[in-house]
Amino acid sequence: MSDTPILTIRNLHGKVADEDIEILHGVDLEIGRGEIHAIMGPNGSGKSTLAKTLSGHPGYEATDGEVIFEGEDLLEQEPDERSQSGLFLAFQYPVEIPGVSIANFLRTALQARLDEDEELDLFDFQDQLLSRMELLDMDPTFAERAVNDGFSGGEKKRNEILQMAMLQPKLALMDETDSGLDIDALQVVAHGVNALAKENPEMSFLIITHYQRLLNYIRPDHVHVMVGGRIVRSGGPEVAEELEASGYESFKPAAAG
Amino acid sequence: MAESTKIQEPIGGIMEGVTEALNADAVEALAGGEPVWLAERRREAWSAYERTPLPTTRLEEWRYTDLRRKLKLDSLRRGEWAERTFDRSGAPERLVQAMDADRAASGHLVEFDGAVAHVDLLEELAAKGVTLTPLRKAISEQGELLESLLATEALPASAGKFQALNAALWTDGVLLHVPRGVRLELPVRVTRWFSAESAGAAHFSRTLIIAEEGSQVSYVDEVLSDDLPAQTLISSAVEVFARPSAQVQYVSLQRLGRGAFHLSQQRTLAERDSTLDTLNVSLGASTARLDLNARLLGPGANSDMLGLYFGDEDQHFDHNTSQDHVAPHANSDLLYKGALDGDARAVFRGIIKVHPGAQQTDAYQTNRNLLLSEEARADSLPNLEIEADDVRCSHGATVGQLDQDSLFYLMSRGMPRSVAERLVVMGFLGEVLSRLPLGGVVEKISGIVEEKLHG
Amino acid sequence: MPQNEMIQDLGLDEYKYHFITEDEPVFRSGRGLNEKVVREISAQKEEPEWMLEFRLKALEIYNAKPMPTWGGDLSNLEKVLDEIYYYVRPQDKMEHSWDDVPANIKETFERLGIPEAEQKILAGVGAQYESEMVYHSLKKEWEDKGVIFDSIEDGLKNHPELFREYFGTVIPSADNKFSAMNSAVWSGGSFVYIPKGVELDTPLQAYFRVNQEQMGQFERTLIIADEGSRAHYIEGCTAPVYSTESFHSGVIEIVVKPGAHFRYTTIQNWSNNMYNLVTQRALVHEGATMEWLDGNLGSKLTMKYPSCYLVGEGAHGSILSIAYSGDGQHQDTGGKVIHAAPNTSSQIVSKSISKGTGRSTYRGLCQVYEGSVNSKSNVECDALLINDTSRTDTYPYIEIEEKKSTIGHEATVSKVGDEQLFYLMSRGMSEEEAMALIVRGFIEPIAKLLPLEYAVELNRLIELEMEGSVG
Repeated sequence: MSDTPILTIRNLHGKVADEDIEILHGVDLEIGRGEIHAIMGPNGSGKSTLAKTLSGHPGYEATDGEVIFEGEDLLEQEPDERSQSGLFLAFQYPVEIPGVSIANFLRTALQARLDEDEELDLFDFQDQLLSRMELLDMDPTFAERAVNDGFSGGEKKRNEILQMAMLQPKLALMDETDSGLDIDALQVVAHGVNALAKENPEMSFLIITHYQRLLNYIRPDHVHVMVGGRIVRSGGPEVAEELEASGYESFKPAAAG
Repeated sequence: MAESTKIQEPIGGIMEGVTEALNADAVEALAGGEPVWLAERRREAWSAYERTPLPTTRLEEWRYTDLRRKLKLDSLRRGEWAERTFDRSGAPERLVQAMDADRAASGHLVEFDGAVAHVDLLEELAAKGVTLTPLRKAISEQGELLESLLATEALPASAGKFQALNAALWTDGVLLHVPRGVRLELPVRVTRWFSAESAGAAHFSRTLIIAEEGSQVSYVDEVLSDDLPAQTLISSAVEVFARPSAQVQYVSLQRLGRGAFHLSQQRTLAERDSTLDTLNVSLGASTARLDLNARLLGPGANSDMLGLYFGDEDQHFDHNTSQDHVAPHANSDLLYKGALDGDARAVFRGIIKVHPGAQQTDAYQTNRNLLLSEEARADSLPNLEIEADDVRCSHGATVGQLDQDSLFYLMSRGMPRSVAERLVVMGFLGEVLSRLPLGGVVEKISGIVEEKLHG
Repeated sequence: MPQNEMIQDLGLDEYKYHFITEDEPVFRSGRGLNEKVVREISAQKEEPEWMLEFRLKALEIYNAKPMPTWGGDLSNLEKVLDEIYYYVRPQDKMEHSWDDVPANIKETFERLGIPEAEQKILAGVGAQYESEMVYHSLKKEWEDKGVIFDSIEDGLKNHPELFREYFGTVIPSADNKFSAMNSAVWSGGSFVYIPKGVELDTPLQAYFRVNQEQMGQFERTLIIADEGSRAHYIEGCTAPVYSTESFHSGVIEIVVKPGAHFRYTTIQNWSNNMYNLVTQRALVHEGATMEWLDGNLGSKLTMKYPSCYLVGEGAHGSILSIAYSGDGQHQDTGGKVIHAAPNTSSQIVSKSISKGTGRSTYRGLCQVYEGSVNSKSNVECDALLINDTSRTDTYPYIEIEEKKSTIGHEATVSKVGDEQLFYLMSRGMSEEEAMALIVRGFIEPIAKLLPLEYAVELNRLIELEMEGSVG
């Protein structure tokens, strides 16, 4: 079981649903269990489109290729089905849901994973929530606030990590989770990812980022460079260092070809 | 000439709404045996009713509710008052459930088909002079108080056609009087039930709440029924007085079955430094019309006005509110939020009126609607009339659908679409409830809304 | 001096357009409105039979409709309508050169700066004096491209088919009592046609002047912006101040064809003895944009709600208005947008300033028909109150039958804050300079959309209203 990859992307083409311009021009990627992958790329390279297409955002559309997640065709699934089969997207811009507390939100999300006649044990839930918040150094009152409503950028990202910790996905997609964060918030995110990875060695991550700096705190096993809607280079952590030194210029399509 | 033999048409709709059941004889039947002041007040109210034409959609305040189509006055019987006692074992299930959720209270009152069937009040409160009295009984027991305040300062017959009708034909109701300085820790809970036997009739009930200087009270007025086999008019007139520095919360929770036409007319008078908050929740009835007028009469007065509605099928809710700032330095803040599914339609018409001289007024008004289906419809008219310059006033209204990004966010956490929708709707409506920290009530309303969303 | 007293002394009644031109009209109808007057107007204009019938039918509708019971105080209006002259013909024919316009009338427009503006910044100018257009001219380059900019009468004479196809279709006579009145007695106004794809880079302007005492002016304008065209039309209005009341009731119909972009700007500065009841409406087709820019500074009572009927997919309408109500004035203005097609969008921004006993009312309607999916509308109203005797009202009607739409309305009312005034004064400004600065900042979002010369003029007018004798 451990040998089969958790995610296999083959020749994925994709676009914004309302537009005709293709953004992903054939992405190939394989992620094994327990691996941490990073995709780096300049603005407009298609990184976020990839994350949104994988999680089933209605604004994006796969036009060709296939994505196998846990042996199933991922592209056929609704967003909630993808989540329930173990995929988690940490949003670049988490959405505000006024009037819905984080606790209520998480309870509902966990209840949705149970069979219809099964009730979530509220005491277990409460215990779990408190221990997860402790793991992430969070104030317990945080869970009583409405989801992302009036949150600072750092608080929103913290909330994403808490959800990840509670929902225990098999693969977490981190869509530019580091953008706009100060160093403290960045460390919170990194600390969360590392703690979860340590706790569950089978859990995989795909970290999408523009900058190298998050990778100073989370050490990826594999680094991919995405330019112009394709992965143009894959390698170990040294690729990120290379990028840091020379920038994306050398990977521009002409140079890459 | 042929012309002169013609029967003169009544001018301007005089005698409109006078029917076989609702007429001067009905007034006399009630007035006979009553003290002179009350009998006269009924007759005057009836005369005002006869003189006032039935509102048409040409009137701004009735623009979106066509009474001629929605309310068949001619086919209504008159709800007869009868002596009743409340027998829990024989009571309808919904009523018992509603009451069970209301155990913790300063007192209870149960009305059954328009007649008070049960009253209780904590002894310690009775000892402090608090009275919770069936209105019919109060005529003899607290006649002076009624004479000065019932249908006079707050909701006189002159306030409108239906205010007059209620003032002429009320059969029972509630008088709550809280003496100076007395504070009630727990709410007073009133449950008004309409049975299948009450269907097809017109029922008129009044509520009079007087909170004397420095007193404090919360009052929850729940009106409910099963679905009714014929159109049934349930008219409630509510008058609330908050004397200086009093604190009053009035909550109306309407859970009538289909077939009911609920007409709730409320006026709140907030004197100097008092707080007079209201929450009106509309979930049931086929048609529900609310007229709420909050008057800020003294400096330092404050009124929070909250409303929540959830309509489905062919329900029609019409909210008509006004915030009347007569005195300077007073605040009012209105928030009405509703979700509409099926063919349901909601109307909100609100007005902030700042009278000349009411300087330093802070008045806000917000109406937000969520349309959940293709056929649902919302009309919103948040009005302002400002005649003083040193004021802070704003109003806002929105109509929108469920935000697709929010839905995707929740679905990406594994919730099926239906669950995600429910959560967003609850969050949307929850803003109203979070502003009314009244123990038990919030949970109860959340439960009912949730139940309705499931259905 | 306390702020309020200071403002009372500001000398707000200064009205720089109060000057009376001595002249004798060549024809004047009797007072009041009746069939004879209507027939006279039609005969004077040598109209085709169908137009006379159109007028007479409209007169019937007018007589049948009751006076509106909403809006401003019209209690004295019926008396005024019986007293005024409905048709005053100042000269025999319309001219295309200022040199041919009678000297006294030409002088009037010179004092208003019209010929000068024409030279500098306009593509064409029309000037109406009393009931008739006395001057109409369009720069040759636009004439060569097929642009028509003519008096409404010449539109009917010279382009009868185009005229008849659209006249009275956007605003039927029966729309309201005053559109019926205008349809019966209309005289003057513009006929504009912008051909397919033609983009005018400078505005067209029509200027309306009422000089006579006790007269009614009934301009009628019909504009057709053909596919993909682009143009801006500006209307200005003034009159001398008389002790009696006058009346102006225009009907402006605009058809904005697919992909076209049309802006209609009004700078209304009637003297404050004028009733100004105007109906303005645009039919906006697929992918087209209509912008109303409405500045109401003058008149005794204005009731005017420019509207956009968004009938084609992707149509956009915007209504931006500034109202200023000084002592005794009531500006009852706003806007109306009807979303009758998918993916339509609209915006209403209304800013009003009420001063002294002035009253500003915003009255608006935003309606989304079922099936107009993905419609968006946003309404913002801000009212500024200067004195404790000033008044402002907001009556927005929002009627939504389509769930897939997003509609918002926000309004605020505020006064000029003492803190703000103090802050500016502590930087060395006088109180009135500070006040004017704040008011200017308040209207800036709309004023900035005007051509520079008009924005400057608007600011100057506001400053004039604000300045006075402090201390």
